[in-house]
Amino acid sequence: MPQVTIDNKKVEVPNGTLIVEAAKKVGVEIPVFCYHPKLQPVGMCRMCLVEVGTPKRGKDGQIELDANGAPAIAWMPKLQTACTTVVSDGMTVRTDTAQVADARRAIVEFLLTSHPLDCPICDKGGECPLQNLTMAYGPGQSRFPVESKFHNAKRVPLGDLIMLDRERCIQCSRCVRFQDEIADDHVLGFAARGRGLEIVTLSDPPFDSKFSGNTIDICPVGALTSRDFRLSARVWEVRDYPSVCAHCSVGCNILIGERDHAIKRIVPRENASVNEIWTCDKGRFVHHFTVAPDRLTTPLVRKNGNLEPATWNEALDLVASRFKEIKWHDPNAIGGLAGDRASNEDLYLFQKLFRQVIGSNNLDHRVGWSVTNTGADSVRVYGAGVGTNLGALDQNVTALVFGADPEEEQPVIRLRLKRSARTFGANLIVANGRVTKLAKYAKQSLVYQYGAEAYFLLGLIRAILDERLENRDFIATRVQNFDAFATSLEPYTVERCAEICHVKPEKIRDAARQIAQSPNFLILYGREAMFAQQNDVAVARALAALLLITGHLGRANNGLVALYPHNNSTGAIDFGVLPDGGVGRTRVERRGLSAREMLGRSNERPSMRALYVMACDPAADGNFVKPEFLVVQDLFLTETARLADVVLPAQSFAERDGTFTNTERRAQLFRAALKPIGEAKPDWWIIAEIAKRLVSGLQFQVSGSQVSGNLKPETWNYATASAVMDEIAATVSLYKGMTYAALAENVKLPRPRSGQGNPSEQPTEIAMGELENISSGKVWASVAESDARAKFELVWSEPSRPLTADSRPLTLAVARSLYDGGTLVSKTQIVQARVPAPFVEINSQDAEQLGIADGARVRVSFDMRVIELDARVDGHVPPDAVLIPNNLDGTAALPMGARVKIEKV
Amino acid sequence: MAFPDLGAILKGMSVTLREMLTPPVTIEYPKVKKPVAARFRGRHELKRHDNGLEKCIGCSLCAAACPTDAIYVEPAEQTDAARYSPGERYAKRYEINLLRCIYCGFCEEACPTGAIVLEHQYELSYYDRRSAIITKEGLLVQPPAPELNTPRALRDPGNLYSAIPPIKGGVEE
Repeated sequence: MPQVTIDNKKVEVPNGTLIVEAAKKVGVEIPVFCYHPKLQPVGMCRMCLVEVGTPKRGKDGQIELDANGAPAIAWMPKLQTACTTVVSDGMTVRTDTAQVADARRAIVEFLLTSHPLDCPICDKGGECPLQNLTMAYGPGQSRFPVESKFHNAKRVPLGDLIMLDRERCIQCSRCVRFQDEIADDHVLGFAARGRGLEIVTLSDPPFDSKFSGNTIDICPVGALTSRDFRLSARVWEVRDYPSVCAHCSVGCNILIGERDHAIKRIVPRENASVNEIWTCDKGRFVHHFTVAPDRLTTPLVRKNGNLEPATWNEALDLVASRFKEIKWHDPNAIGGLAGDRASNEDLYLFQKLFRQVIGSNNLDHRVGWSVTNTGADSVRVYGAGVGTNLGALDQNVTALVFGADPEEEQPVIRLRLKRSARTFGANLIVANGRVTKLAKYAKQSLVYQYGAEAYFLLGLIRAILDERLENRDFIATRVQNFDAFATSLEPYTVERCAEICHVKPEKIRDAARQIAQSPNFLILYGREAMFAQQNDVAVARALAALLLITGHLGRANNGLVALYPHNNSTGAIDFGVLPDGGVGRTRVERRGLSAREMLGRSNERPSMRALYVMACDPAADGNFVKPEFLVVQDLFLTETARLADVVLPAQSFAERDGTFTNTERRAQLFRAALKPIGEAKPDWWIIAEIAKRLVSGLQFQVSGSQVSGNLKPETWNYATASAVMDEIAATVSLYKGMTYAALAENVKLPRPRSGQGNPSEQPTEIAMGELENISSGKVWASVAESDARAKFELVWSEPSRPLTADSRPLTLAVARSLYDGGTLVSKTQIVQARVPAPFVEINSQDAEQLGIADGARVRVSFDMRVIELDARVDGHVPPDAVLIPNNLDGTAALPMGARVKIEKV
Repeated sequence: MAFPDLGAILKGMSVTLREMLTPPVTIEYPKVKKPVAARFRGRHELKRHDNGLEKCIGCSLCAAACPTDAIYVEPAEQTDAARYSPGERYAKRYEINLLRCIYCGFCEEACPTGAIVLEHQYELSYYDRRSAIITKEGLLVQPPAPELNTPRALRDPGNLYSAIPPIKGGVEE
């Protein structure tokens, strides 16, 4: 490791380290504008100039010594850029000389010749590197009168979300490099040259990227500003509260910037294991629902046919008395539907209420899901090891991304997998029934036929066994039933599987070799794979078998990651909001009814007499029949709430404390940022209040035959959300020890701001990416990891034969769009232009046969349903398949794999 | 019995008589008001440019400098169609809690445009605490002419691109 001396401080750093990074280690600050730790250095701004010298060597190659016996230094004749110069052994760097100070002053003065210095009206003012470095290193006065400065356009919309001020831009190219290197959406560029050099967007619609908001954070001046936050507050006036994004299952760490009891802006909070320093535009801009004027503010009770405001006591007493009455007749006539957007505390108490007080297992969180088998058991057993970092998988890791589309569903996971593949050389194998954006970074992109997923996986397994690449030691000691499995696999040759799944046999063999020979192997499977599991149980078993025969489980970077749709889908499974799954992913003895069974069909009588619906909207999917008694707990008067007998106003994630468990099983803490809207209460409080009322009446009713547990109202006394989590940490083995204090460890907050109420001289900088390796939150360990002697069983099931092409002209594939037509997105005006009109993607061959052009209006019919959509013919879907995102207007609850007929309108 | 010291009495009376003839130092406030010193710091005013536009650009630096947190500013974006001040930002709400204010003048010092000035108004009494919060309407001085009031559409849009003086074109026409 080279040793360098920076301002007389010696430090040893790894080979290839830049001077600017080495200086950070000894606490020497080298000012930068264009350099960013997450981007490639370019040396454009010249702010980081330092004096650099290397040891003088004689003709014999020996280091010469000076009069004091120290190595003589050969100083480079001119200053060097610290951000592009790599350290070498014996290098000496001086940053504190007059020459360096002079250079810095000159660079700042030069940058300011075309900078308007309108800091008082600039959104960056207060957290602006240019402002801070001008104060620290710049000249005190300008030699230019402001009139003679270079002026340029000040209000240039760069898309719907970002505003560009050309005058403030210092041409550091951080935004261009972010889009090219990190986001890989090449939508920004430079136009013209010299003084006329300016940032332009190259795409139509302008700045078409899901990560555009990150350029605001990394812009070192106020050139790029958020059109949402723009000029609505000064940055030192917003208070930052650490929170977790409540949209997709990545669980990006965020800071909620609050002023006047409203969210002014959301910026990412650094967490090396989850989101680094990035977040997607949905997480950043879709927050207006928290203070939307149509939020529910008081409980509503149906009186004379109308929902009318009521007090909490009135509403809760009514709910408790009706539940009590119905429970007296039949506890199984009460069902609970809880959305997987609620926090862990809410979901835990929800199932506790049903299982311990009401005595019903009719619980489900999969409302509006077309998927019901998410592979919860597989994740419990084979889940990826603790310490897996999806953004830092290296060349020793092979990752199979199976039936997933992270670009639309978990955008930041797409960023992180891309980083693993491009920066660290991870071996990505992307397999899906269509081409997704992630396929670009894969060493191998395999497109199989929808419906033949099991054959694809069996082909991989067979190829491994054929070449005797299986992990025999692991199989001998830990795996049962291997021989029977191998025998059953006998008729499934690689060639036969390849023919059925439409992937070339040599590609399957190649992928199989990489999987088996890689030291680490990770499977990420998404919603399309979950659909496949549901249609064919052989898929889930083959996924498990792939891990078992290669022995890739129980360690970091090995095992299974399920990519779920919502922020707390994992938590909903962990806490048993399922008819057959109990707390901590256990099994319940007596299976209850699933959401689908509870809701029934439109022509049936509802099977439930009472339904408790929390944070979901079953009526929005159609076919909803109101039961005798319906309680809805939500933020808005949803379609279900309109039919309800009692509506209880809940608090949004921004108003309360709680925890979400992300798709990698990482439990993360979020804190309240806003004061409650109206009389809204946290979900956990409402559930506990209902339970208390039920319990106090039930003590005299129930003999205890059905309801185990102690029925004392005291067990439902929770003062705070953290008290609920304390109970979880003490009683649920998966979440052992995950109290709020433990989850808050390493939570990174921005440097304190100077200004109001916080007298600190520290400059504020967000999104600097300085904390490589620091992560917060806690991941629970899978069985394979926590039990080193656990035995696993290989289970065989015959794959179901996919229908052949002629019997089934077009197969429906169901995807999702990041910007959906849902309630939360609809409250944010600024992103509405990005919500696509409902569309269907068709392969060009099929489109030609049917005479459909790109953009044409088509009618899609299946299962007695007909929808009208716009056609897209853009080469993302293979022949014989059509793709429809199911979270847009009128496309809810589409059946994956259905037979579809398309005709022009 | 001592003879009274006539000299002392006369001395005292002379002071009395002299003072009777000099004009009084007290004034009949509130009928009569004394002018205050030029640098007296009384109630704040928000100034305007000669063209009637507000000097305040809603930068909140006064609020940041205020030691008692007496100033509240809510900025917003403006366009040429409805102009309040030069530049892109203006103060949508501007409030000062005069009970909190200690009249230190830091806000004046912090203001980059000279918009807020502690003027000579010192008659500050209220019947309730709420009316001690003075809003932008109360703080803003009258425009030079009624038609120069804000917000107004600019006659020459795009002229005002810089908010901070000295500005050429920062003041319309």
